[in-house]
Amino acid sequence: MPSLAPLPSGPGPSGQVPTTSRGAAFRGLFSAAIAVLLAFAIAGILILVSGKNPFVAYWALLRGAFGSTDSVTFALNKSTPYILAGVGVAICFRARVINIGSEGQIAVGGVAASWIALNVPDLPSAVLVPLATIGGALAGAAWASIAALMRLKRGVHEVLGTLLSNFVGVLLVSEVLHGSMGEPGAGFPQSPLFPQGAWLQPLFEGSDLHAGILLAVLAVVACHLLLWHTPLGFRIRLLGSSDRAAAYAGVSVARTVLSVMLLAGALSGIAGAVEVLGVHFRLIQGFSQGFGFNAVAVALLAALNPVAVLPAGLFFGFLEAGALAMQREVGVQSSLVYVIQGLTMVFVLCALAINSKQQRV
Amino acid sequence: MRCSESQDPADPSPMLQMQGICKRYGAVRANENINFSVTRGQIVGLLGENGSGKSTLMKILFGMVRPDGGTIRFKGQALSGHTPRDAIRAGIAMIHQHFMLVDAMTVAENVMLGWKKAGAWLHDRQVAEQIRSTSQEYGLDLDPDAMVGDLPFGKRQRLEIVKALLRGAELLVLDEPTSNLSPPEVTALLAVMRRIAGDSRSIIFITHKLAEVFRVCQEVTVLRDGKNAGRCSTEGTTRAELARMMVGREFGLATPRVEMGSGAEVLEVTTITLKDSSGLKLLDEITFSVREGEILALAGVDGNGQTELVEVLAGLQAASSGRIALHGRDLTKTDVTQRLRAGLAYIPVDRATTSLVPGMTIAENLGLRDFAEPPLRRGLRLNHPAFYSRAVSRISEFGIRADGPGATVDTLSGGNQQKIVVAREIGRKPRVLIAFQATWGLDPGATRFVIDQILALRNSGGAVLYLSSDLEELLGIGDRIGVIANGRLVGIVPREKANPAEIGLLMAGGGLLPAALEINEDLG
Ligand SMILES: Nc1ncnc2c1ncn2[C@@H]1O[C@H](COP(=O)(O)OP(=O)(O)OP(=O)(O)O)[C@@H](O)[C@H]1O
Ligand SMILES: [Mg+2]
Repeated sequence: MPSLAPLPSGPGPSGQVPTTSRGAAFRGLFSAAIAVLLAFAIAGILILVSGKNPFVAYWALLRGAFGSTDSVTFALNKSTPYILAGVGVAICFRARVINIGSEGQIAVGGVAASWIALNVPDLPSAVLVPLATIGGALAGAAWASIAALMRLKRGVHEVLGTLLSNFVGVLLVSEVLHGSMGEPGAGFPQSPLFPQGAWLQPLFEGSDLHAGILLAVLAVVACHLLLWHTPLGFRIRLLGSSDRAAAYAGVSVARTVLSVMLLAGALSGIAGAVEVLGVHFRLIQGFSQGFGFNAVAVALLAALNPVAVLPAGLFFGFLEAGALAMQREVGVQSSLVYVIQGLTMVFVLCALAINSKQQRV
Repeated sequence: MRCSESQDPADPSPMLQMQGICKRYGAVRANENINFSVTRGQIVGLLGENGSGKSTLMKILFGMVRPDGGTIRFKGQALSGHTPRDAIRAGIAMIHQHFMLVDAMTVAENVMLGWKKAGAWLHDRQVAEQIRSTSQEYGLDLDPDAMVGDLPFGKRQRLEIVKALLRGAELLVLDEPTSNLSPPEVTALLAVMRRIAGDSRSIIFITHKLAEVFRVCQEVTVLRDGKNAGRCSTEGTTRAELARMMVGREFGLATPRVEMGSGAEVLEVTTITLKDSSGLKLLDEITFSVREGEILALAGVDGNGQTELVEVLAGLQAASSGRIALHGRDLTKTDVTQRLRAGLAYIPVDRATTSLVPGMTIAENLGLRDFAEPPLRRGLRLNHPAFYSRAVSRISEFGIRADGPGATVDTLSGGNQQKIVVAREIGRKPRVLIAFQATWGLDPGATRFVIDQILALRNSGGAVLYLSSDLEELLGIGDRIGVIANGRLVGIVPREKANPAEIGLLMAGGGLLPAALEINEDLG
């Protein structure tokens, strides 16, 4: 992981944002914009090489992302799990806990939410939906705690622990779908449709936009407050800058590592619950595919700043939505989106590394 | 030559000439139109109070910081827009306060790291041979096969010097190399410097100890508030004159020493032993106590167990056996937070990674140790206004030069960083203060100030354990003086009976000639 320590931003001690941080935040925004532009430029060349007109392709991408209320809705729903999981990952990375286990945590959160939705179908919606969501959060947190305990008790690095638990978490989904929770006779490993009472209600009448995006915004605000305005946030930042300074300040490594892992796990679990309750209305094999990678990417694109996770997550969501349209209309490979995402990441990380070098004069 | 306000050097073609150097950081003018030059074969002193712009000027020379204006000529060539790599290639070496070494490698491997020549045609043995001969030539006494992690501070510094010499440096910049050394080590380092300069290389020597300037420098340049305050040859000036140039005023009188009688025992340490993983004793049955209103000063050459002792006392390491009690209460099994609450303050030696978080603000660093207690915490939240107002008052009480409480600590000069640590630990009015090299990197005025603060703490009934390698400082401050050598506490004597030569012998484990102990008297 590149140096994650010197990323000052957020409010200063007086409660206002000090000028130095404002400068840093502006520089961060600027470098993110440049990175995105460069990534699009290079991807444009690739489109050209593949024999398509990049301007036509990008126009289709834009329209696919912003062209209609439906497309915006679609993109917002896509962004929701990235924001939820991404902000948790950002908090972990701040504490130098390299949690790459969102994918498994999302999967397990989805399983738990689905189980509740299918097993207590008669509860009123106002109880069932929150219950299933909380169930998802608890399951995600419990899943994350395995890797955290492996590190704290056995010294297994959390990269390994979270990576391995991803495989297990994803396999768990297909395990339950081939067993007790599968829909008999369906050609695809999926659960039966949830009862209506378990569906995440749309925000507006007749729209597909579900309440998950509100949860995501709430999570971002909560994580921002946590990081900059609470003792735990102070501990997280201390642990992220130096183990020795953290020890000197009386910070318990174990408690802090466990806290951030549980938090990130719970947020990913909510993301999983929101996916199954609000988008698919059932558990589907592979529904968490690629979310873990995107969560890490979103966190890094946001320079580990919780507030910046919101635009970063939206960027990923809208990009994907637009890319699907681009593929449909122009015939450009939608895998090109991954190229753009990947290139953006590379450029942003380069820019961040340059910035932090400048700060360490 | 008399002293003057930045007079042009007598040497018409100096090895290094920096002219009109300017550097601003926001509102702070770190360097304002500074002229500085170095003649070949000379050791030039660079003096100035904390925050006067010395390190900034050197970072500009070395290409680590871009100046806003000014020109640099080195060996007749213009240097501008250069990087440290270019500076090294041109023959400039900079030895930082925090060394750039890899602990898990040997001396020879560290020398080879990033050294092109080593990769191209040298083999391990040849590098080792070169290290051996160079270190013999300059009296550096380095073993190429030693692990860097095992070397004490002074040896690491020598390794940095060997690295610089082998890379063909002709101009060495030493930024406060003597701050952490004991008197015999300082003497040895100064001798090395003389030999290097005798070889028609030059050295820029930054220090806060005026006596050292007179021992090795031919020329000295003084900065004040980012401007030239004067330059002169050491033969044509006196210590008092240099001090006046640095601060522009005279020192006041020291805090009077109040006789305290014998108070109750506050800190009791009984047979503390610490073994490393191989069973080697790093601390060997250390026993002592400190009373109310008493300062126990411990002398010792770095690497004799001081770090281990203070970390065991502060709760950062667990002792293998022994007991620590504060006011009769057993603290042996308690953690850092509990010891803090019991009233134990600790100034560690290492500010880069332990006592400060460079990326955090001054206000946050001042709250590093009690951020989770009221008034810094209010309910579940951090009380930012309390952080802020504490910072405002500490900044003015301790004369910390900074751009306000919201400035990050990495923008402060070395001495001002140390003042933050001291302000935090003393500012909480602790019952016991453990201070390890508390005046590291402070200018004479600030040193005096910190010593006064520690004396005031003592006078109000605090117990202080004061560790330093600066013997003169210890003799000045301690009520009782002890020596720590090879992990053992050897002999504690009351201040009236303390004899510098004897203590020096004990520090060196008995093997050192008293002649090597020249005591500095900077505050006089
Ligand atoms: N990166 C930076 N950002 C903002 N201000 C800085 C930065 N670096 C240095 N300064 C300011 O420039 C001034 C000069 O600092 P410098 O480090 O050169 O002092 P110094 O003479 O080396 O002091 P010391 O004896 O304490 O090491 C200080 O006021 C410091 O706060
Ligand atoms: Mg300095």
